[in-house]
Amino acid sequence: MRGFEARGDMAVAQLDSEERAVVARVIADVGLLLSGEAFGAQRDGVEDFEDELFAHVRGFEVALSDPEDPAVLRILPNAAPTDRQVADEFRRLTEPELRAIKVDRLRAIWDALSEDGPEWKVPADEAMATAAALTDVRLVLAARLGIDTDADADALYREIEHAENAAATDVFASLAVDPHRVWLGMVYQALTWLQESLMTYVMRDDV
Amino acid sequence: MSDDPRPYAGGVSTQHQGSTDVIVESRIADAWVTIVWNDPVNLMSYVTYVFQTYFGWPRERAQARMREVHTEGRSVVSSGGREMMEVDVQAMHSFGLWATMQRSGQ
Repeated sequence: MRGFEARGDMAVAQLDSEERAVVARVIADVGLLLSGEAFGAQRDGVEDFEDELFAHVRGFEVALSDPEDPAVLRILPNAAPTDRQVADEFRRLTEPELRAIKVDRLRAIWDALSEDGPEWKVPADEAMATAAALTDVRLVLAARLGIDTDADADALYREIEHAENAAATDVFASLAVDPHRVWLGMVYQALTWLQESLMTYVMRDDV
Repeated sequence: MSDDPRPYAGGVSTQHQGSTDVIVESRIADAWVTIVWNDPVNLMSYVTYVFQTYFGWPRERAQARMREVHTEGRSVVSSGGREMMEVDVQAMHSFGLWATMQRSGQ
């Protein structure tokens, strides 16, 4: 993997086919979480129309109260924890639009990753939308990984380092590590690193 | 806490002319504030750039506010009427920042 670098009027990162598949998969998962829409699924006209109707209805239903899934609550947080009425009204007014914006950004990444070749190209004027989508994906992963504080994040990084060292000395199987958690943590780390490189690109001409 | 709309007395500057911060006078309409809270996910560079581009702050000011969020756990980033704060909170949420609104002084 190579982080984003400037090329002409775009930022370009390099991902091999496996890395590409993993990133596309988590992007699609978060899109599904937010919209019920499966990116890349084959559609025909009638089902598509019905799906959109149902998605619309679902959007209104969920907008009435805080999402039950803590991962969704991380990307659509309570806007007024001290005032239930203000919080609910805010959610009713803003949530459908916020969901739509976030899903559109995720879909744009999905489309970019669906093109052939190892390059992930992000036009300059889409860089912040891409960074925002990466933030949402990392917020979801952080919720799944139980990262609530800076100390939790540090602990996860140590856990991954520990697992990597153990893997290098062939005692991985005997360690009390959860391979799924370590894997998810490594995806989180990789996306963090990619977003950091994208921000370096975005802020390159700024002082 | 009183329900009376009270001016926010924290001297939050929300407008800039050139490089000079203009302290907006406290007024009745500034009864609400938008607060950005620390979280372990958002990148310092990203939060700084969001503050720069959305609030129109120069880099140094945006960085100072980002550090305040990081070290103090929160920072008041704007103040005004409730509808204005709803716009700011929605914008912060669209960027994945953890923002809330409340009556000032609470």
